[in-house]
Order: sequence, then C-alpha cells, then structure tokens
Amino acid sequence: MKRVEVRLGLPVVAPLLDIIKRTVDDLHGGLAAPQSLQDLDDELGFAWKSELLDGQNDDCRRFLALFDSEFFASGMVAFDDDNAESVLRACAAIRLRLRDRDLQGLPDEALEGAGVDAGKLDAAAQKAYLCYVFLATLQELIIQHLDSAILEG
Amino acid sequence: MPQARTEVAPAPRAETELALAGLWRVVVLNDPVNLMSYVVLVFRKVFGFDEVTARRHMLEVHELGRSVVWSGLREKAEAYVFTLQQWHLTAILEPDETR
Repeated sequence: MKRVEVRLGLPVVAPLLDIIKRTVDDLHGGLAAPQSLQDLDDELGFAWKSELLDGQNDDCRRFLALFDSEFFASGMVAFDDDNAESVLRACAAIRLRLRDRDLQGLPDEALEGAGVDAGKLDAAAQKAYLCYVFLATLQELIIQHLDSAILEG
Repeated sequence: MPQARTEVAPAPRAETELALAGLWRVVVLNDPVNLMSYVVLVFRKVFGFDEVTARRHMLEVHELGRSVVWSGLREKAEAYVFTLQQWHLTAILEPDETR
C-alpha cells in the first residue's frame, strides 16, 4: 500500500479547521453541488439525492479524521489507497460550498487562475480563500502521488 | 344509435418507458471550482479513458462549457451520472438524437 505523509504547518492549518468543520456541518444539510436527474419520479429522486448525501457525509467524516491528536502533536497527516478517494471528494465538496457561501464576490476567472489578491479581501473571505487554496493543494498532492492507486482501486 | 366503444388508455408507465428508451448522452458541465487535474483523474477513473482522451474532454468542459463523455442506454448512463455526481462534477443526461 502506498502511503504519503505530509507535514503541515500547524500555525497555518489549525486556524483553518474551524471554517472547514463549519463547512462540513453545513454540508450535512445538502449536496455541495445541486445534483439531479431528469425524468426521475419523486421517490427515486429522493433516494438518488439521499445516497449522494450519505456518500458526501462519509467522505467528509473521513477527511476530518485526518486532523486527529497526531496531527495536533506533529502536524502530520497521511494519505493512502484507503482514504485518498474520500479525501479528494471531500475537498471538492468543501471547496464548492466555500465558493457558494463565502467567495461569491470573486469572479470565476480569478478563482480559476489563482488571480486573487488575498490581502484585499475582508478577514472572513480571506480565511475562506486560504482554506479553498489549502484544500486544492491537498488535492494536487494526492493526485500527484496516489493517482495510480486511485485508478487501480 | 352510437355504438359503445371501449378504449383502453395506454398506461402512463408505457409512455415513460418509451420516453426513456433509446440512447442517452452523459454530459459534464463546467464549474469554476474543480481542478483540471481532478477532472482528468475522475474521467480516467470513471470511464477508463487514457490520459489524452480524459484531458481532451476536460478541456472541452473548460473551454466550451460542456462535454459529452458517454452515450448509450439509459440505465448505464444513469449509473455514470450518479458516479460523476458522487465526485461532485455537474453531470446531466440528455437524449442522444444524433443516432
């Protein structure tokens, strides 16, 4: 099993965990992206969304589990074949919700091209943006090092 | 004297089945959040695309706003849409009227 250990800067990442946890709580109530399928009756549509939401919640739970006592002692988090997919999806879900809830004032082009001057944002948006970038960095790390495991899994 | 006629109304189910028959396209729509590398990985994972094909579809989504990533029977198309939605991509189904 391939395993990637990453030491994160505690003073940088720990303050972001509040907003991450708040966003995960928010995601318990609904899907990160409005998903649906045409031509489904109400019952099947409800089951469809429920199953997606269950999966989203499970992914977020596994993601938050990275930030355990070991993380607060050493700053270390570990990704492997077992958690990589869940962490990737959880990061996507949280980023989508951050974009919708906290970063609405930023144009798509700026977010896509990393052309945001964080220094010009108010404190709340600045924290959300740092979180948004941090989660993207985790995704890039996993894709770079564990893509084979994910594709074969 | 008019003759009584008995007409059997078609069951709604049959209409639905007719509408769902045929070929369907799985279409992925652009979003400004998911990383290009993430979308490529998801396409490779879900459809078994090679890197070049996955990247071509990703660029189509990015530049044109949408890409048809699969076409076929409804049941399998639904399964693909569900899986893409699990990965938080915006995926929809539409009838494939090209064939």
